[in-house]
Amino acid sequence: MALAEPDELGAPAGALMPQSGPCLAMRLLRRPCAVIGLILLAVILFMAASANWLYPDDPLDMVALPFLWPGDDPAFPLGTDMLGRDLIAGIFHGARVSLAIGVVATFVSLLIGVGIGLLAGYHGKRLDQGLMRATELFQTIPPFLFVLAVVAILQPSIPAIVLAIGITSWPGLARIVRAETLKLRQSEFVEALIGMGLPSWRIILFHILPGTLAPIIVSASMMVATAILTESSLAFLGLGDPNVISWGGMVGAGREVLRTDWYVATLPGIAILVAVLALNLLGDGLNDALDAKQHQ
Amino acid sequence: MASLHYWARRLIQIIFVVLGIAVINFFLLHLAPGDAASVLAGEAGAASPDYMAALRAQFGLDQPLYIQFARYIGNILTFNLGFSFRQGLPVLDLILQRLPATLLLMGTSIGFAFLGGSALGVLAARRVGRGADIVISTVALLFYATPLFWIGIVLVVVFSVWLDWLPVGGMSSIESGYGGIAYALDVARHLVLPAVTLGLFYLAAYTRLMRASVLSVMSRDFIRSARARGVDERRLMRRHVVPNALLPVVTMLGVQIGSILGGAVLVETVFAWPGLGRLAFEALFQRDLNLLLGILLCSSIIVVLVNLGVDLLYSVLDPRIELN
Amino acid sequence: MPRLSRRSAVSRLALASLLAPLGPELVLAATTPRRGGTLTAIVQPEPVVLTAAVNTAAPTQFVSGNVFDGLVDYAFDLSLRPSLATSWEVAPDGKTITFHLRQGVLWHDGQPFTSADVKWSLENVWQTIHPRNKSIYKNVETVDVPDEHTVVLRLKAPSLAIMSTLNASGATILPRHLYEGTDILTNPYNNKPIGTGPFVFKEWKKGEYILLERNPHYWDQDKPYLDKLIFKVVPDAAARAAALEKGEAQYAILSPVPLREAERLGKLPQLRIETRGYEWLSPVFYLDFNIDNPYLKDVKVRQALAHAIDLQAIAKIVWYGFAVPAISPVPSTVPFFHNPDVPRYAFDPARAETLLDEAGLKRGANGVRFKLTHDFLPYGDDFKRTGDYLKQALKRVGIEVDIRAQDTASFIKRVYADRDFDVSSSWNGAFPDPQMGITRIYWSGWVGSGTPWTNASGYKNPLVDDLIDQAAISPDAKARAELFRKFQTVVQTDLPTLPLAELRFFTLHAANLRDLTQQGDQVYASVKNAWFDTSAE
Repeated sequence: MALAEPDELGAPAGALMPQSGPCLAMRLLRRPCAVIGLILLAVILFMAASANWLYPDDPLDMVALPFLWPGDDPAFPLGTDMLGRDLIAGIFHGARVSLAIGVVATFVSLLIGVGIGLLAGYHGKRLDQGLMRATELFQTIPPFLFVLAVVAILQPSIPAIVLAIGITSWPGLARIVRAETLKLRQSEFVEALIGMGLPSWRIILFHILPGTLAPIIVSASMMVATAILTESSLAFLGLGDPNVISWGGMVGAGREVLRTDWYVATLPGIAILVAVLALNLLGDGLNDALDAKQHQ
Repeated sequence: MASLHYWARRLIQIIFVVLGIAVINFFLLHLAPGDAASVLAGEAGAASPDYMAALRAQFGLDQPLYIQFARYIGNILTFNLGFSFRQGLPVLDLILQRLPATLLLMGTSIGFAFLGGSALGVLAARRVGRGADIVISTVALLFYATPLFWIGIVLVVVFSVWLDWLPVGGMSSIESGYGGIAYALDVARHLVLPAVTLGLFYLAAYTRLMRASVLSVMSRDFIRSARARGVDERRLMRRHVVPNALLPVVTMLGVQIGSILGGAVLVETVFAWPGLGRLAFEALFQRDLNLLLGILLCSSIIVVLVNLGVDLLYSVLDPRIELN
Repeated sequence: MPRLSRRSAVSRLALASLLAPLGPELVLAATTPRRGGTLTAIVQPEPVVLTAAVNTAAPTQFVSGNVFDGLVDYAFDLSLRPSLATSWEVAPDGKTITFHLRQGVLWHDGQPFTSADVKWSLENVWQTIHPRNKSIYKNVETVDVPDEHTVVLRLKAPSLAIMSTLNASGATILPRHLYEGTDILTNPYNNKPIGTGPFVFKEWKKGEYILLERNPHYWDQDKPYLDKLIFKVVPDAAARAAALEKGEAQYAILSPVPLREAERLGKLPQLRIETRGYEWLSPVFYLDFNIDNPYLKDVKVRQALAHAIDLQAIAKIVWYGFAVPAISPVPSTVPFFHNPDVPRYAFDPARAETLLDEAGLKRGANGVRFKLTHDFLPYGDDFKRTGDYLKQALKRVGIEVDIRAQDTASFIKRVYADRDFDVSSSWNGAFPDPQMGITRIYWSGWVGSGTPWTNASGYKNPLVDDLIDQAAISPDAKARAELFRKFQTVVQTDLPTLPLAELRFFTLHAANLRDLTQQGDQVYASVKNAWFDTSAE
């Protein structure tokens, strides 16, 4: 679902200066929520990294009897699905795909959102007006309908899904970045740089962008979570990529046997829940940590 | 004077949005492969090229794209959303048929999420760090992370099939032929599960947001000093903390209205709710472009109108904010 | 290949018993039909119009079949039974067909039904806009109506296939007095139909339901037994299953719930699963090979693919037993035309590999011989699962398959217009006559026409075209059957299309809904015989 907007919890206002890394990390580690989030995320990253090594075979292979329940056969601890595919292998490999979709879609959306936010905030006036009108326009189209339309046009495949999520989830971020940029643009520091005759691309890239990083990072962690949920909703409606195994696709396939063999859809559903939970906890933690720093 | 300027600006914005959406969507949707005639022929199970050619001529699909576009924009400018050949009705009629169902569903979900979320958020913030807070925050986080369609299916299995308390789907019991209050109650019974499904995610979101917001307001100087002066705690909450804390929640509601409409697609599919979201989904796959364009326009207008409402609500919550 | 597990073997045995006719139970129950009650059926997707004359989509036919009567209907063995026509004769040369119509039949608006309605419908609907009938009725030169209750078709050349199209959905008779002189496709009565059938159209609430009521003046005495018939739109499969389980709906056709779910629902005491009533439709599921593909143009490669695919596994596992392996494109449910003696391709991966080696397509260093794409029919998970199976089956013989998903509009354009595919899947209704649903897959004239469910493979064989053309105008039923048998042998040798399975669609209905399934075209016919048995309550 493209339900959560990136500025969900209000990005920390006015995190003006670039963060000092170790200090932030320490702050983060003092928050139990963030630590839990980090641990869960580490587990999922481990699953993604080890999938090829622990389960070298194609997870789409039909390796056993269909509908082996979890525990029926120790060789398949999480059981098999309707075609006899190993669920645990699917969940490990699915972690790669789901995370990749989340991260790449977020990256696409960051490129657009941050770019537009910086340009609009820095240059102001006409350009700002134009870009913000366009942003508003995109914000009025229900994002999930927009994603559906783009996927239907491009046909369901991983690149199409990534692109569709990416190009529909940037407006919120663009507004946050613009607001931050506006503040920085008016600071004496930036006025001085302009006075020194520095080209605007350098000012934007090296002096303004770092100042907006904090809210961007917080938003990004939430956006990855949202992208994973959106992919699963698309798969639920039958718009997943059939050539790779993703958690959303597994839930979508298992849905029709929900009443008889609920584990087929539930196990990957739990994987989605854990991943989204981890990213949100981490986002919350980052938000708090940055907030606290700013309050110092 | 300021407010006149404000309304004029808003009106121009709406016109801009409507035209922008029309242009973007028209060209976007015409990129989709295949057309309505091939879908209809496919569903018919059999067809011949002249049958399909006749359909295309009837739908105006045999015209060049720029003529179709000119016609469409011309129609929009005269407040005409065109004709859905697929459904055999004017697009506006179709939308007006389905709009009440969607508004009812969205309104109930938002109300549920907004009221419930605010209350739970305040409760959690008042008991910060204690049992109630931990329970509320954890449950909110879980619902926040669960796919919406998943919640819908589980609710159906539990409350309709196992417990047999609520109907499986649809909007009313047709065979009963209810009227008046009985009908309203019947619709309300059908509304519970879809509204809860759609609302739970936002309930979770608003709970989290409200909790954070209340905590942040309570740490502000004027509240601290008021407390120090021994102002009645309840009065302080009601008069100062809650209204201020609601501002970000209201903002969020305005921002999310579009995504609630999108979520309605899933919920309406699971619960056979006869609303706009499902109509849009079907129109997309049937290449019923006039209808889809009409729905997208209509939902954009709803988003703009709700944001207008949010601005007004803002000025009520915080009189210092003027409409500008 | 996955073997059948004990668990699923057991459940599939149970399924077999579920599918057996319901004989013994009926004996115990009351046998005299009872009047009254409302039947709620599930229709999905929502119909576009309610008149099968202008649209032959399944949901339209499902509703339309209760409002309209055909000249005849079809028994389980596909023989003709009287309906609006009480008797008929076909001249030995096949060039004259006479129908004697039932007397005293009224349209729902009170006007009498006469031979003029039939003549008008044939000339203005079946011969012109009906997507399936046009070619079958093209040889009808004149329609004579010597009196109000006799219709005589005079043909330039015989067209025996006409006799397989005559039910309510195959050749809907429209009321001439409401349609004459109007644009038939946009006539408002398409959405508020006036028929002669057992149920009268009352209301269509878009997105929710269609309501029909008992026709008190119906010609078939005492029938229908039900007072009201509601068609509810339920878009989600899980919700359909729940509605049937809870009894909120009592009747749904065309495999309305996921197959695995059907096994479970069929075991519930309140529900029955029924696979009869689809004989007139006789669905057959097949793969089209694009013979312009550099690999697939070689018949050896196509035969190798056939050997690599286990039709038993597709029927038993992928389709949960709701299918039987296909032998020829004309399914065994159409016994008069079905040819069981065509070349067969047993599941034999070793043979497949040998054939591929012989075709010069050796495995490369990575074990891959070549790559193909597969576009599966976007009509639900069963077709997608078949694609998943295909990918794995072909991988075993060294062919890598890239599955492509898309929506219906894109699928039709890609496969039937652009022909930008390698292997695609699809199903057709075979109908009682191969001319209605099967020959279109092989006839060369359809290649690249953009018309769905026609010749996608690009197969052009003058011999096949000739057999099809001869059969179309043959006046002798036996000779026609012989021509169609030969046709099946040729296409199963050349294999541009690989028939995978005869699908066994199923109906779910409430256990106390009696006498529902009475004929071979039941799913598109009326429920006039059905009644609720309340004797157990």
